[in-house]
Amino acid sequence: MMNPTETIRSIQRNIARVIKGKPVAIEMTVVCLLARGHLLLEDVPGVGKTTLAHSLARSLDCSFKRIQFTSDLLPSDIIGVSIFNRQKQAFEFMRGPIFANIVLADEINRTTPKTQSSLLEAMSEAQISVDNQTYPLAQPFMVIATQNPAEYHGTFPLPESQLDRFLMKLRLGYPMPEEEKKVLERAPSLHPAEELQPIVTAQDVLDLQAQADKIFVDESLTDYLLSIVQATRQTELLSLGVSPRGALALHRAAKALALVRGRTYCLPDDIRELAPIVLSHRVMVARTHGLGLQSVEQAERIIHGIVDSVPVPV
Amino acid sequence: MPLDQAFRIMSVLLTGVSFLALVLGTDLPGWLVFLTGMALLFSFARAIGSTGRRSIQQPVLSATACNVLVLTGFFGFLMDSLASGELLPAGVRFLLVLMVIKLFNLRRTGDYLHLHAISVVMMVAAALGADLWYFPFVLAYLLIGVWALVLFGLTKQGEDLPVPASGLLPGQETTSAPGKVTFPLLRVAGWLAAAVFGLTLLLFYALPRLQTGLYQKSGQGTVIRTAGFSGSVDLGALGPIKQDPRIVMRVELPGRARGENGWLYLRGIAFDHYDGRSWVNQQMGRQRAIHQTTPGIFALPGRRGEDQLSPELFHQQRVFLEPLDTPVLFGAPFMEKISGKLPAVQVDGGGSFYLPFPSAAPIEYVAVSRPPVVLPADLRPVPTAVRYHDAFLRYFTQVPPQSDRIADLARTVAQHARTPFEQAMAIRDHLSRHYRYSLELPVSEQAHPLEEFLFNRKTGYCEHYATAMTIMLRTLGVPARLVTGFLATEWNEYGSYYVVRQQDAHAWVEVYLPYSGWITMDPTPLSNNGGTGGGTRVWAGWRDITDYLRLWWNRVVIQYSAADQITIVRGVQIGSATVGRKVWDSMSGWFNPPPSWRETIVGLYDRSTAILAAGVIAVLTGFCRLLWLRWKQSRYGSVFSKGGTQDERQAVTKLYSDMILYLSSKGIQKPVTTGPLQFLDTIRMQWTDAFPLAATITELYCRGRFGNATLTSDEYTIAKNKLCQLMGLTREQRGEMGLD
Repeated sequence: MMNPTETIRSIQRNIARVIKGKPVAIEMTVVCLLARGHLLLEDVPGVGKTTLAHSLARSLDCSFKRIQFTSDLLPSDIIGVSIFNRQKQAFEFMRGPIFANIVLADEINRTTPKTQSSLLEAMSEAQISVDNQTYPLAQPFMVIATQNPAEYHGTFPLPESQLDRFLMKLRLGYPMPEEEKKVLERAPSLHPAEELQPIVTAQDVLDLQAQADKIFVDESLTDYLLSIVQATRQTELLSLGVSPRGALALHRAAKALALVRGRTYCLPDDIRELAPIVLSHRVMVARTHGLGLQSVEQAERIIHGIVDSVPVPV
Repeated sequence: MPLDQAFRIMSVLLTGVSFLALVLGTDLPGWLVFLTGMALLFSFARAIGSTGRRSIQQPVLSATACNVLVLTGFFGFLMDSLASGELLPAGVRFLLVLMVIKLFNLRRTGDYLHLHAISVVMMVAAALGADLWYFPFVLAYLLIGVWALVLFGLTKQGEDLPVPASGLLPGQETTSAPGKVTFPLLRVAGWLAAAVFGLTLLLFYALPRLQTGLYQKSGQGTVIRTAGFSGSVDLGALGPIKQDPRIVMRVELPGRARGENGWLYLRGIAFDHYDGRSWVNQQMGRQRAIHQTTPGIFALPGRRGEDQLSPELFHQQRVFLEPLDTPVLFGAPFMEKISGKLPAVQVDGGGSFYLPFPSAAPIEYVAVSRPPVVLPADLRPVPTAVRYHDAFLRYFTQVPPQSDRIADLARTVAQHARTPFEQAMAIRDHLSRHYRYSLELPVSEQAHPLEEFLFNRKTGYCEHYATAMTIMLRTLGVPARLVTGFLATEWNEYGSYYVVRQQDAHAWVEVYLPYSGWITMDPTPLSNNGGTGGGTRVWAGWRDITDYLRLWWNRVVIQYSAADQITIVRGVQIGSATVGRKVWDSMSGWFNPPPSWRETIVGLYDRSTAILAAGVIAVLTGFCRLLWLRWKQSRYGSVFSKGGTQDERQAVTKLYSDMILYLSSKGIQKPVTTGPLQFLDTIRMQWTDAFPLAATITELYCRGRFGNATLTSDEYTIAKNKLCQLMGLTREQRGEMGLD
């Protein structure tokens, strides 16, 4: 296997051939993959959420399944179903689309909570149980879910406890005019992501994940991370602080970011940069500070403020 | 081949060459030779095989094992030196053991430099047992040494580039593609070595030995014009040169302190005939060559030498003579023997020594002389009949015409004297009491300068005094002659020798006494022109030191005196043997309980032993300290230690804090809540010049502070240097200029 830094860079470059002008989003997507996390993309339609997920899957030599979530989607449509086989005189499990390395759950908030929870269970357990039978999921396994914050009509918003399962929540945002121009100019085909060639194998990804685990985090940095988490629990601006699972997520993400940036150790900057992305969807903004459509951005702003108030270890 | 690998190979080769030279030059124990040879071969194979980065190269021995070995080796050395009683060979053996240990513990560049230092010492040790084959080894050593140093410089240059920041800094890719050793580089290094060797040979070996002094700086090296040392001397000839401070010679007195009353007469030529205006040598002028008894030794025939008479009667002077326009060889009266690398030596009737021709280069010789002594017999009145031989009287009582007034004066002055010695004393006292010493005389053509001095002006200098005394004695019938030479008064404290300058030229009188023979008398009163250069004491001290250095240079380099070198080597040998014996004595004194405490205390007060013990203790302490430092270093230096030590982190954190402090004084503040990389970005925005330096420091700080591997000492040094450079920058503040 190549130098990890080089491998990771080439993945990023590959995705960047399709997703223009979003280096941070691409980097964070890779971080999420290496931290064994799941990604929630939340933005208005048409900014490239699906394309990002698609091009990541294409860059890895992995199986990729896409599930379009609708209100009438059933859990068995995701997990699979047992069918009676007449020749064998037995039930046979037909695997659903969840048995893939990268699963794109498009518009996850459009389906019923029952279906949502079946997916989320699979995400956290990395295995599924059907008819007293346990089936492990493929490794690496990553769910990239998208949701549309603008259109809440007829949706089932994910509860905070379930949002917690996602390692990070990203917003892509509109591209800059010149980047958008590039997108228009080089769009001969309908799906540019289809043209991408895989860069690494599934085994490579597993190796990289193992390397991310070995990244060194100094004790003072752990303290720094925990003091940020503490601050979210103590501030009046938030009614619900970050759970220990959130702290764990930030820790893991920071390690993966360090690997992506080519280091063998974490820096305070990693934590600073990741905190809004990893923590903002795990907190609840206090009612006094407005709970509305903009609460997501509000939470990000509050986390930013908290990060800017905690001194960095020297 | 990468540069650092080539450097390693060259270093091992360098050590190998010096080792071979040492093996061929001295007899070393076989096992040691075998061991060292094996270690060298092993290191050589390792150096050829390894291509990785220098800092990652793992040593064969761990630091602890290495220290234990060094300690063992040191005790072995102590035992060895005590058993053999010779410090030098034991030291060489210890050096080899050290080298073997070092060869197994080559970690970073500094270790290779240690290896170089050891090899230099080995070359020096090999030189002590020099032989012809030493020459090619010196050649090879020089060649490889130049290569190694060139490669060292190149690798060092590569290290000073900013450490590749591996993605930490945006846009910075791995920059330090290590340089390669190419054939042109080797060729350049080879030519360089050859040129160095050739130049050295030319400058230090060939040119000074030609002894031509062709292109010497004028005023310093040109032949000094002297006066008073040729066939005839006009009265008043010495006057003009008495102002000239140029150095004519330097005189050492081997085995003797500074002469009594601090002066030393250096006799040049004696004159017997005075024609009223000038002195000439009529009868004594004939020169004959002295036969060399042994090569380089010229002794007056027929004299009883030191081997027959008590050596206290003789004085030795080692004279370093600058190029003069006279072939006279100077020495204290009366010279009997001269030894030195001289082509031939001649002597005249007056006992003066000459070279066949004036030397154009500085020469060195040793003169043995027998100072005149007044025998008690001459203090008693002697019958006139047995006094002097007729022919003798004819030569040495010659007086010029028209000297009646002088004869009258002489009789008046010496009317109470009964012996020639008393007459001479009376005249000397009269002259030195009633006449004034002055160099400021009008240069005038006088018909009778002596009468002018004695009766009209009553002022003059040494020549006038000496001439007056000689002529007055002669009118009384006492044989006397005039001698020119130098009176050395300036003593160099640092080198313990007399400095004789042109202005020390002097003339005095030799009187012949019936029993004692020629004795020296000086009628010239003490002049107070002793302070030659003038100036403060500091200046005088400085002048003495530089003069001593010049003498040393002349002796050791230009003259290349073999005797000096042998003396040095012998001194070292004897010194080491003495030290070894003393150590042994004192050690055995410690181990065997002494008969009484009193003796122990007395023994401790024995100065040399105490100094020696102090020296041994100091060496041991220094050694232990060195070991401790090494141990500490090895703790910090280990690359793979988990977590890193606290000290190391604090050091680099302190360095980073210093940078932040400095930058805040320059107007760039770091809020406590920003991370190091974020702050680096701020620096890039606000002070572009400082950015590369700050980037390196930040990178090293991050690695040292938050990383799981500590910095190597080299990296720490780089960070420190960068900080120094950063503090040297001046920041141009945009907009507000007055803010500092």
